[in-house]
Amino acid sequence: MIEVDEKDLIRCPVCEAVNIDRGRDNRCRRCGSPIYRYTHFKTEKSWAYLITAIIAYVPANLYPMLVTTQFGKTEESTIVGGIIVMWESGSYPIAAVIFFASILVPIMKFLILVYLLINVKYPMGKDKKINKHKLYYMTEVVGPWSMIDVFVVAILAALIHMHNVEIIAGTAATAFALSVFFTLLAAQAFDESLIKENH
Amino acid sequence: MAFRYLIYLVTIIAMKLENEDALDHLIICDQCRTLHEEIPIEDGTKACCIKCGNVLYRYDSRLTDHGLALSLTALIFFAVANFFPIVQIEMLGNEQFITIPMTFLSLFENGFYFVGLMCAVVLFLFPLTIFALLVLLFLLLKLKKGEELSRSLLIGLSFMKPWSMNDIFLISILVALVKLIGYAQIHMGIAFWALVVFVLLDIYMTKHIHLKDIWMLREQIFMEKE
Repeated sequence: MIEVDEKDLIRCPVCEAVNIDRGRDNRCRRCGSPIYRYTHFKTEKSWAYLITAIIAYVPANLYPMLVTTQFGKTEESTIVGGIIVMWESGSYPIAAVIFFASILVPIMKFLILVYLLINVKYPMGKDKKINKHKLYYMTEVVGPWSMIDVFVVAILAALIHMHNVEIIAGTAATAFALSVFFTLLAAQAFDESLIKENH
Repeated sequence: MAFRYLIYLVTIIAMKLENEDALDHLIICDQCRTLHEEIPIEDGTKACCIKCGNVLYRYDSRLTDHGLALSLTALIFFAVANFFPIVQIEMLGNEQFITIPMTFLSLFENGFYFVGLMCAVVLFLFPLTIFALLVLLFLLLKLKKGEELSRSLLIGLSFMKPWSMNDIFLISILVALVKLIGYAQIHMGIAFWALVVFVLLDIYMTKHIHLKDIWMLREQIFMEKE
């Protein structure tokens, strides 16, 4: 007979089996993966990835995403520039999709992760009503959608290379892909069991 | 489809368990972390979280057959989607088409190695591996063999799952084509429709066959065998 407290039950992040929390060096009963709960660095790994992602997001917005060469004339457009051009030319849905995927989703993800990472260390009193598990789950679901812009550039670059019109990807594509890659890693490295249910 | 809510355990503060295997009957909602007790449900139904309504698990008595059929179909459509052109455009008298591998190969040619590698992994390598592993996994479960191998396959799948982005690629194709409207004549290729079917199958499978259901099935199969 074992007696356990409900708070001592944790979910394996890999196979989702319920396990008893035994602190450090705990392995899942079903899949054998280590269940990190009280490791030495609780949030540092996630912070490192997140800061890298935020740094990469700066050149992603400053450098051109798309370089168009048309009859010898070279035009460069950044992410924001591309959105403005599309909005002005009347393709509102596309402008909205790109705005959502390349501006709104990454910034929201940064803010939510920063909030969660600060909150697990210094819990604030006022935020009891927010379901942080749900918030974290949302960032995981919408996160990959910021890849839309990178894929669009990849498709256009592969499709348009004729002798008088050519599109190639710009430096921002690499920076942006790096930023998305590291935000995904940051979200995965975040130890969800650190979120304490306080309601 | 009938909904059955599970017995809600949150009010219980301490419980007594015979041994650790009794934990198999507990389940924690992956969205809101509410603890539930697992109960047998009817064939073809699902159990939902009492707090947030998220699906906790499903019971399908023929999960191996369904899973095998779906993943094989998806694999065939994936092959078609990769071998044939997705779109063909006519612009200023030039004709040009692309296939999925061409999108990331052209990035490599232009020196964008990181983006090219990332696209290759999330659009080609992982989706292919995921469905190949799923076919292998369901075959193993059907033959009731390979207890260790099926465990490693499931662990591998859970790591690859978030890195497959074909659904996002599909939307990106549409966005790219809308940008080209007015400049070029666009013809959709056969691979585009194959990709649509593949993405629909992928979404259906992510929604209806959770990895935790396969874990439960695997446990059940190898427990019976003992």
